[in-house]
Amino acid sequence: MQQTVIDAKRNGAEQFSRIRRTILVRVLLLPFIILLIICGTLVHYLATNIYNHVRTELVIATEDHRRLIEQFFVERARDLQFIMAGTGLSEIAEAHRIETCLNHLRLKCEAFSDLGVFDDSGNHLAYAGPYDLAGKNYAETEWFKAVRQQSVYISDVFLGFRQTPHFIVAVQSHAGKAPWYLRATIDMRYFNSLVEDIRIGESGEAYLVNQKGILQTKTRSGSRLMTEDPDFGLYPKDKTHTTPFLAKGASGRRYFYTIGYLEPTGWRLVIRQKASDVFFPLIKAVIIASLLVLLGGALVVLIAFFLSTNVASRLTLAEVEKREMGSQLIMAGKLAEIGEMSAGMAHEINNPLQIMAMEFTMIKDVFDDFPEGRPIDETARRIIKDSIEQIGLQINRCRDITHGLLKFSRKSELHLQPLNMTSLIEDSIQMVAHQAQLESVSIRRHIDDRLPEVHSDGEQLRQVLVNLLNNALYAVREKDGGMIAVTVRADGKGVNIDVSDNGCGIKQEDLEKIFVPFFTTKPVGKGTGLGLSTCYGIIERLGGALSVRSEPGAGAVFTVSLPLSVNGEKHTRK
Amino acid sequence: MKNLQLLLVDDEERFLSTTKTLLDKRGIITHTASNGRKALRILEENRVDVVVLDVKMPDMDGIETLRLIKQRYPLVEVVMLTGHASVDSAVDGMRLGAFDYLMKPCDITDMIKKIQEAFIKKQVTEQKIQKLQVERIISHPMAVFDKEGKNGD
Repeated sequence: MQQTVIDAKRNGAEQFSRIRRTILVRVLLLPFIILLIICGTLVHYLATNIYNHVRTELVIATEDHRRLIEQFFVERARDLQFIMAGTGLSEIAEAHRIETCLNHLRLKCEAFSDLGVFDDSGNHLAYAGPYDLAGKNYAETEWFKAVRQQSVYISDVFLGFRQTPHFIVAVQSHAGKAPWYLRATIDMRYFNSLVEDIRIGESGEAYLVNQKGILQTKTRSGSRLMTEDPDFGLYPKDKTHTTPFLAKGASGRRYFYTIGYLEPTGWRLVIRQKASDVFFPLIKAVIIASLLVLLGGALVVLIAFFLSTNVASRLTLAEVEKREMGSQLIMAGKLAEIGEMSAGMAHEINNPLQIMAMEFTMIKDVFDDFPEGRPIDETARRIIKDSIEQIGLQINRCRDITHGLLKFSRKSELHLQPLNMTSLIEDSIQMVAHQAQLESVSIRRHIDDRLPEVHSDGEQLRQVLVNLLNNALYAVREKDGGMIAVTVRADGKGVNIDVSDNGCGIKQEDLEKIFVPFFTTKPVGKGTGLGLSTCYGIIERLGGALSVRSEPGAGAVFTVSLPLSVNGEKHTRK
Repeated sequence: MKNLQLLLVDDEERFLSTTKTLLDKRGIITHTASNGRKALRILEENRVDVVVLDVKMPDMDGIETLRLIKQRYPLVEVVMLTGHASVDSAVDGMRLGAFDYLMKPCDITDMIKKIQEAFIKKQVTEQKIQKLQVERIISHPMAVFDKEGKNGD
C-alpha cells in the first residue's frame, strides 16, 4: 500500500506537468498567433505607407529642384540674350559699356562674376570683371566651338586659373550678318545655395553630377567638388523619369536615390537619403510592436501559467484521488479474493477431513467392539483396512490441494531458454491429442510461419498450454462437433497465443473470478480451482499476461501474451 | 432414540456410506442421498424426521434443497452441514428455517447430539399440533370429518 501511494504521488507529479504543458500550449498558441498576425499586418502597412510616402516626397523634391535649376540656367542664358538684343557688337566692345552691362546683369543675378565679348573668329574683344582677359583668341576652345553650334552653351564646373569653382554661360547673337558672342561666368557660391541647401530628413542630401560623373557641387556627406561621384554607376541612363530606387552606395550604406535629368547641361540632380533614416520610423514601429508582443506575451504567459497550474493541479488532484480510490478498490478486491480463496480452501480441505473423521470413528467403533484379549475377526479386519485406505486417499486429496496452492504461490526458479514456439505448441497439443480423439474433438492450428524466438520457460509454458487445452476440452465435452483452435501470431512486442473453443462458455459473474484460486465450476473432486490461477501466476512471472473473453454458449478464448524475453525478475506479486 | 429416521445429504459418497454405518449402529435409521433431487425423492417415499444437509453441492445446492424441503415438509427439521469457513451460508440456512448447523469436520457425537435436539424439537412441535387438534375436536366435534382425509401421515 505504501508503495502504491508513492507511485500514485510520482505519477501525479508527472501527470500534473503533462496536463499543465497541454493547457499552456493551448492557451498560449492562439493569442500568440493572433498577436503576431496583428503586429505583422500593422508593421506591413506601416512599412508600405512609409515607403510610398518617402518615394513621393523624394520624387516631388527632385522634380521641384530640377525645374528650379533648369530655370536658373535658362534665365541666365536669357539675361545674356537680353543684353545682346539691346546693343551691337561695336557698341558693347567699348570698355565702359561692357562694365555697365555687367552691372545690369548683377542687378538681376548676383552670380554673374564677369562678362566677355567675342567676335565670330573667337577674338576676346572686351571684358568686364575682376581679371584682365581681353585680347586673347578663343577660336580653338571647346566652349567656343560648342556655342557656335548650339547658340547657347553652359559649361561644366571648373576651377580655371582663378581657382574658384565656376561655370560659364555663353550665347550667340542672331542680329546682324556676323554673329558675336557673350560669355558670362557664374560663381558657384550663389548657385550652390540652390542645390546644397536641399535637405530632406536627417540625412537627405542633394548634389549635381555632370555627364562624366564628376560632382558639380559638394555634398553634405563630404564628397568634394570636382571629384568623381563613386555612385555614378548606379544611376539609370533614363533621362525622362525621376524614379526613386534603393541601392547600396560606395560608402557601404544603403540609400534611397532619386535622379533628375537637367536638360540644358546633361547634368543629373541626385537627391539621396539614407535607408536607415527613411526607415527609422518603421524600425521604431517594429521595435514598439516587438515590445508590445513581448510585454503582452509575457502577460499572457504569466496568466496562462497561473491558470494552467491551477487547472492542472485540480485535475491532477482529481486524478490522484481517483487512482487512490482505484487502488483501494483493488485492495478491497484483493481482500475479497483472499476471503473467497480461504473459504474455497477450507471447503476443499474440510470435505476430506470430514470423511477422515468418520473413518476414524468407524475404526474406533470396531476396536470398541473388540476389547483387549478378543481377537479381531475377518469382517472387522476388512472394515478397518477399508477405512485406513480411505483415510490414505483423503490424505492424498488434501496433499494435492496444498501442493497446488504452493505451486500457485511458490517462487520456483525460472529456467529461461530460447524456445521454438511452433514445436512447443505442437508438443502441448500432442499431450491432449489422445483425449481429444476419444471425445472426437478436433484441434486446429493457425500458427504464424515466421514466429520470433521467445526467451522463456518452456516447461512452465507447456504446463499453462496443456491446462488451457484441458479446460477447452472440458468445455466442449457435451457438444457435438466440439472444436478447439490454437492461434499463434507475433506482434512487434512478442507472441500472442489464443486457445479458443466453441464450448459452453463462461458466465459473466464467473468470468470475474476465473483466475481466483479455488474458484471452480466443476463438481467436487473434478477440479481444485487451482488450474487457471496457477496459469495466471506463471504467465505473470514470465512477464506476460493471461486474459479471457467469453460469450456464454458460444465458447471462450484464452489469450496468452508473451514478451520476447522476460525482463529480469521484477514481476513480484503484490 | 426410537424410530428416529434421518436423511443424510452430501455429494461425498464415502462420507455417506461410512456415516450411515455409524449412525445405523447407534440406532438412527439413516437414508442417504448424494444430491438435492435424490433427497426430495427419499423424503417423498419415507417418513423422515431430521435431514442433515450439506450446503455446497453441485447442480442443486443445499440452500435451494432446504427451501424445497421446508416448503413441502415444514415439520421436518434440517441441520445444515457446512465446509465453509464463513458461516454466511449457515446463517442463510437458519433464516430459511433450518434447525441448526454443523461445521465440517464434525465428530459423530456432535452430529448425533444435534440430530437428537432436532428430533426433540420436532416431537415437541408435533405434540403441540396434536394438542391443538384435540382441543379443536373437543370444541368443534364436527371438524374431525373435515380434516379426516388430510391427517393421513
